[in-house]
Order: sequence, then C-alpha cells, then structure tokens
Amino acid sequence: MSTLAFLLNQSVNALSQAALLFFLGVGLTLIFGIMRIINFAHGALYMLGAFVGYSLVRWTGSFWVALAFAPVVVGLVGWAFELSILRRLYRRDAHAFLMVTFGLALVVTEAVRLIWGPDALQVPAPKLLSGVIFLLGEPFPVYRLFLAVSGIVVAFAIWQLLERTRLGLLIRATSQNAEMVHALGVDVGLVRSCVFGIGCGLAALGGVLAAPLVTASHSMAATVIIDAFVIVIIGGMGSFLGSLIGALLIAFVQVFGNYYLPDFALAFMYLVMLLVLVVRPGGLLGKEA
Amino acid sequence: MRWSTVVGLAVLALLIAAPLGLPAFAMTLLTELVILGLFAMSLDLMVGYTRLISFGHVAAYGLGAYASGFMLLNSSMPLPFVVILAALMTGIVAIGVGWVCTLATGVSFSMLTLAFAQLLYAIAFKWTSVTGGSDGLAGIPRRAGPMGITLLTTKTGFYYFALACLVGSFLLCRKLVASPFGAVLRGIRENEAKTLALGYNTRLYKIAVVAIAYAFGGLAGALYAPFAGFANTELLFWLLSGQVLIMVIVGGSGTLIGPILGAAFFLLLEHQLSSYTEAWALFFGLVFIGFILFAPEGIWGLATGWFKRGDAAAKAKGSLHG
Repeated sequence: MSTLAFLLNQSVNALSQAALLFFLGVGLTLIFGIMRIINFAHGALYMLGAFVGYSLVRWTGSFWVALAFAPVVVGLVGWAFELSILRRLYRRDAHAFLMVTFGLALVVTEAVRLIWGPDALQVPAPKLLSGVIFLLGEPFPVYRLFLAVSGIVVAFAIWQLLERTRLGLLIRATSQNAEMVHALGVDVGLVRSCVFGIGCGLAALGGVLAAPLVTASHSMAATVIIDAFVIVIIGGMGSFLGSLIGALLIAFVQVFGNYYLPDFALAFMYLVMLLVLVVRPGGLLGKEA
Repeated sequence: MRWSTVVGLAVLALLIAAPLGLPAFAMTLLTELVILGLFAMSLDLMVGYTRLISFGHVAAYGLGAYASGFMLLNSSMPLPFVVILAALMTGIVAIGVGWVCTLATGVSFSMLTLAFAQLLYAIAFKWTSVTGGSDGLAGIPRRAGPMGITLLTTKTGFYYFALACLVGSFLLCRKLVASPFGAVLRGIRENEAKTLALGYNTRLYKIAVVAIAYAFGGLAGALYAPFAGFANTELLFWLLSGQVLIMVIVGGSGTLIGPILGAAFFLLLEHQLSSYTEAWALFFGLVFIGFILFAPEGIWGLATGWFKRGDAAAKAKGSLHG
C-alpha cells in the first residue's frame, strides 16, 4: 500500500468517525449554548436512536425510513422531557440539570433494555451502501464513505440553519441574551424546547447511522457520551464551529493514535483535552473560562 | 443531649451490635454500605460544602483500591498500614488533579474531573503489568497483622475496621467543616468572588479540599479492594461517579451524614428492587429525578426539616402553656 493511499484511507476513515462524533457534539453544544446545560442523556438518546432505527428497519424494511423518522421520534422524546421536567429547573443552578439528565440517561437506558431486550441487535446497511470502493487502489467500505459525506452535509445544513433562517437567528440571539430576546416578544421557552428536541434528534441520527457499523447495543451509549463531552469541551461549549473542530481533532487522534500508538490512543484523547483546557480553560473557541 | 446526638449514638450502637444478630449475607451488604457511605461522604466535602461538583470521584475510589490491592499483593505490610498509605497516596495525587481541575470553574470543572477519571480508566486498562489490565487485580488478601493480630482477616473483624474508618472519617470531616477552613469553603460555595475579595486565596482552598476529599474517597477504595478481594476497571467507570453523586444529592448534600444515608438508601433499594425486577435502575433514575425536582434538600434535609417543625410546634405549645 502506498503511503498516499494509506493516508487517504485513514483520513476518510477518520472523517467518518468525526461525522458520528459531530452529530453528538453539535447537539450537546447547541443545547449548552442556549440553555447553559450539559445533557448527560445525550449518549442514551443516541442509543435510543439506534434501537428505534432497528425497529423501523424491521417494520418498513427500509433503512432510509429509519434514517428519516428515528431522529423525529427521539427528538419528540427530548422535547417532551424539556417540557415536563427541565422547564421546572431553569431557576436552579446548572448542576441540577447535569444530575437530572443523568437520571434521564439511566431511565432511557433501562427502558431500552426492557423494550428491546438485553442483546445487541444487528442493523443491516442498505444494499446501495454495502460493499467496498477503491480509493487509490485500496479497498474502502462504502458505508464509511457515506458517513463522512453525510457528516459534511449535516454540518453544512446546520450552519445554514443557524445563519440563514429565522429559527437560527433566534437560537443565536437567545444564546447571547435570553432576557433581551424575551423582552422583544419571542417565546424563549419554545426556542429552548425546539433546540433541545433538535439536539436530541441529531444524537439519534448519529445513533441510526452508527448502528450498521457497531450494532445497536447498550454499551454504545456509555463510551460515546464521554467522547462527545471531550469534543464539546475542546471546541468550547456553545460553539458550533468548535464542535466541528473538536470532532475532527478527536477522530484523527483516535484513528491515527490507534494505528501508531495503540497502547496510548485511549489516554491520548484525554491528554489533548487537558492540554487544551490548561491553555484555554474555555475551550478553543469558547468564551467562558 | 440533642436528639441528633441521641439518634446518632443509637444508630452507632446498632451498627456495632449488628454482627451479633445479622446473617452473613446481610453483614456483607452492611460492610459494603459502610464503605460506600464513606465514599459518598468524601464527595460531600466537595459537592456540599464547596460546590465543586465532581463527576469523576471514581478516580479517588479506583486509585485507593488499586493502590491498596497492589500493596497487599506485592508487599508484606499489614492491612491497616496499607489502607491508610493508599488513602494518603490518593490524596497526594489529588493535589495535582486539583491543581489542574481548579483552572476551570462550574461545569468545566465537572468535566475536567470526569476527564481525569477517564484518563485513569484508560491507564488501568493498558498498564497491565501493574493493574492487571481488563482482568484487574484478583485474589487480594486481607492480610493479618500488625503484630500478628488476625482480627482483620475475618469478615466481622473487617467490618469493624471499616466501621471504625467511617466513624473516624466522619468525626474528622465534621471537625474540618466546623473549622475556619470549613467556613472559607462555605464562603466559596456561596460566593467565590466575595471570598476572594476578602483576601482568601480560594484556589488554594479548593485544591486542598479536592486533596482531602480524594484522600477519604481513596480510603473507601482502599477498604473496598480487600473487602471484595479484587480491584478492576469497574471501580473507575464513570457511571459510578454519577451514582455516588446521586447518593450525595438524594441523601442530602452539605450534611456529611446525608450522603451516608443516601448510599444506604440506594444500596438497599438496589438490593430489594433487583430481586423483584431487572429494571431496578429505571426506578433508581426515576427516584433520583423526583428528588431533584421536589426535594433538593435530600433525605436528611427532609428528616431534619420534619424534626425541626416538630420542635417548633412543641416550643409553640410550651410557650402557650407557660
């Protein structure tokens, strides 16, 4: 294998990894930006997305239907949680959220275990995306290429949403000064529920997309949520661009670290994070220390 | 005597008498409860008194457990020395942890503590020659001694040792939070900027409380290793950090005694529920959410509030008659 082909393969591989991490990270960071809360249940909702996706594939036989509707279902779950519980806590300090969403994570994880049983479930990739493609003469799974592309598409779509639409305008405004937005006659509560729902939906999108790769399992939540935290912290909480940079950084560190220094790859990610925080306590693009 | 002292002494007497009346499996549960209670109490120093919400307190537990497990397996030191040495080592490591983590505040602090715990988790996984990797350290003995005393090798003896550690730590922590040092911690909790303006180097105080809390958490871990006979990466997994935080909040943070109750509550709840249903964690989560929403003061806060109202009512009645 030529060096160039190897680098290309590994880079696209890292990009696909980054896409999955980005779906989680961007939801977390949007939610943090606007609500100042850390959603600990994000990993559990990601997992819920994978399982809902599994059922949708079973019922309809189409991966694409699952891809379209699982995020909607999970987004509604998140939206309901915001309406019923989080809304009561806005006057309390940020840690009440951290803990209440941890509670939600436990509840969702157990509910999934009750509904879908304890086993990992296989979600087949659609025919169109199975098989391999040749990149500079080296085989590469089509599905991973699809992941990388979908990551780019979604990142672009969210960017457009934030910059070009009225909802995006309100999201940015609310994250800067919620009281002022409220004073201008906007229902800030509605903006918050929407963002929470969208964030949870994005996590579920990540879950559905990850399912053919890693199978839908209960352990998928526990590891990935920490990765997502690391991304958001490195990028700076509340920063859209930061979560993108964080996801790319961590994915490349993971993929290349696993290749060159497999013994240290796991620790390396945390070292990168500690380093960033020591230099810039608010994260690369964060404003708050 | 105040009612709390009376109740406290009565509970202590019951705990001391417990091995006489309880079957073996209940004693195992009770020993685990004592250890977990100590672990939760150590976190309360940070969460309840200083409002440093650590999401990585397993770091202390795991460090203590691995340190004591390693020393028990590879040296001939008697158990009490090993346990205390492991706790001190955890506290010393925590000075570094505290130094880095206190660079950040608020939620970032929580995430940094989490990152440190995960770093240790990663190290425990990979540094196989010392930690045993994914298998962990197994067959950790409860060694006899010092001076050939074999008391601690028995289950009952070890229970008393753990209980003594818990009671001793509780008394120490109570002294600590009542001292001027504790007053500064509460100052940081209520308003760090103001405390800083009063001339206290709040960062140093925060590093100190992290080190102390980790040392007590390490003590709990150091007890767990010889209790269970093993130390593995489960002890460093982040879910446990969340669970111990739950124990502190549900028990009542900032009370020292509350977190011990919280640990007891959840251990017993887990024990009872898991025999009925596999989904006990679901109820665990629901109960926790309920406490945050409706009773942020926790079990201890509810109980003392109830007693205080009782006292106030009695006083009002007394003044009417008097």
